[in-house]
Amino acid sequence: MMGDRTLELLSAWAIARKELLTQLRYPLQLFTEVAQPLYQFLVPALLLGASFAVAGRAVGLEAMTGTDNLAGYLFLGVIVGGMVGTAFWDMAFSFKREMDVGTLEQTWLSPTRPETFVLGRAISGGLISVGASAVLVLLGMAFFGAEVGEGLWLALPALLLAMASMVGIGYLVASACLMLREPNFFVDATNFLFAMISGVAFPVAVLPWFIKPVAYILPTTYAVDLLRVYALGTRPLLDPALEWVALAVLSAVMIVVGRIVFRRTEHRMRVRGTLGQH
Amino acid sequence: MTASLVADLHAFAAAGVKEFRILRRYPTLFLGFLFWPIVLPFSYVLQARGFAGGNAAAEAAFATRAGTADVVGFLFLGFTAYMWISMILWGPGTALRTEQVRGSLEALFLTPASRLVILFGPAFSQIVWALYMFGLVGIAMVFVFGIDIGLVEAIRALVIIAVATPALYGMGALFASVVLRFGEVGALVQTVRGIFTAFCGMTFPIIVLPEWGRAVALALPPTYLIGGLRSALLAGADLVSLIPDMAFLLASGLFLCAAAVVAFRSTERYARRGGSLAQY
Repeated sequence: MMGDRTLELLSAWAIARKELLTQLRYPLQLFTEVAQPLYQFLVPALLLGASFAVAGRAVGLEAMTGTDNLAGYLFLGVIVGGMVGTAFWDMAFSFKREMDVGTLEQTWLSPTRPETFVLGRAISGGLISVGASAVLVLLGMAFFGAEVGEGLWLALPALLLAMASMVGIGYLVASACLMLREPNFFVDATNFLFAMISGVAFPVAVLPWFIKPVAYILPTTYAVDLLRVYALGTRPLLDPALEWVALAVLSAVMIVVGRIVFRRTEHRMRVRGTLGQH
Repeated sequence: MTASLVADLHAFAAAGVKEFRILRRYPTLFLGFLFWPIVLPFSYVLQARGFAGGNAAAEAAFATRAGTADVVGFLFLGFTAYMWISMILWGPGTALRTEQVRGSLEALFLTPASRLVILFGPAFSQIVWALYMFGLVGIAMVFVFGIDIGLVEAIRALVIIAVATPALYGMGALFASVVLRFGEVGALVQTVRGIFTAFCGMTFPIIVLPEWGRAVALALPPTYLIGGLRSALLAGADLVSLIPDMAFLLASGLFLCAAAVVAFRSTERYARRGGSLAQY
């Protein structure tokens, strides 16, 4: 007899496979995973950076972060930006899509726990995000002059921890999606703010003083910073040892808090009978 | 003839009012109209601060290339134009697509209203939103970021927006024809928006582009809109000095609107013959 946890893990994998199969049916959508960050964020940012270059070097960025590798700085930021997008759109917003097509009640009536659906989508979204990020970084190295050091491998555990924290964030945002019923703007805006405040696009040091404290309680801030410290040799925000501890602790907190909030939201919706309303 | 024209004008206004009413039913859309015009360009302002790094040489390099040291104004104007263009590219095409999905497109085509109403009507309400967006950004630039914009500069900017309107709505209407022909517009809009973002200087002065990139930029109407707005509001350029840019915008506007009408008529004939109007 398989234990409950094993069964839930198998269910999560089945959900992930289903989501991946659906994605494979739309190759243009997969292409967008790479093309959209490239034209919507990376190219405008690279050209803005080029406007500040002196004799072809990003001297301003170097003064601020310790590296003049503008392309490397931005392309590595996109890796964490992709993870944030996975939590907000693939894990959380998918509940809204199910609400719209009217299948949410049926799936929640199955013996699989609702939170397993979040986990399954985290797996599929994470795999797609990893693939898109790998392609983007390779494109950055091949065509945009991004130089990524071998230290990148040392930062991989930070990315895994960040991905785990994103499952917690996914639970939190999914709860909001279930409660709000029209969460498009909420998800879009909070996804953008979460990524920006984490320092995906610029150094955290330039954030206004009243937003900066928020950056220090987001696990992704430490993930993107450690990634750049190891791969590009940038100056860390804090002592790297402290950053590792902060990342691990915050990731654990996000998962625990996220699950509690999601379970309470689910219970509340079952009691009030609002699951099918949207 | 006159009665028909008046009726078409009524239909045109009714199409605009209908779109506005639909927008009013979804209050979160209003939040987006308040949030994105400020937050999106502000994130690029922060990015510019990171790239400048407080380094005088980097800031001077930007000022030389952009023709202004006002990074905030430069980026806010570029992004406001970008958001307006996005709205236009999605607008008419999405409106027709929505009618197609709802099953009301055939009924719309059976009305005696001119096809021009169907094509440009939904865009009418968006002019209100575009003006609102430019107003909001103007207020933020003046009162939050302390950029000095006088009444004369504001009027010059409005003239440039008015001159650019036919070109941009012509593009939007061309996309609407594509929707009727192919039933899907997302990928094409993403591609064209990507081209505009990469070439038209929304976040950068086009001088940083390679020579071939500058040639592409100078063939696209949004480049002249963005450049004109920056010249009028940040560099104090008068309208006379912007006549060549405005002439290009007007000429491309005439061409694009005419092309949109031709494309729409041809697509309509195709849809009628093949019976594909309601298929999606």
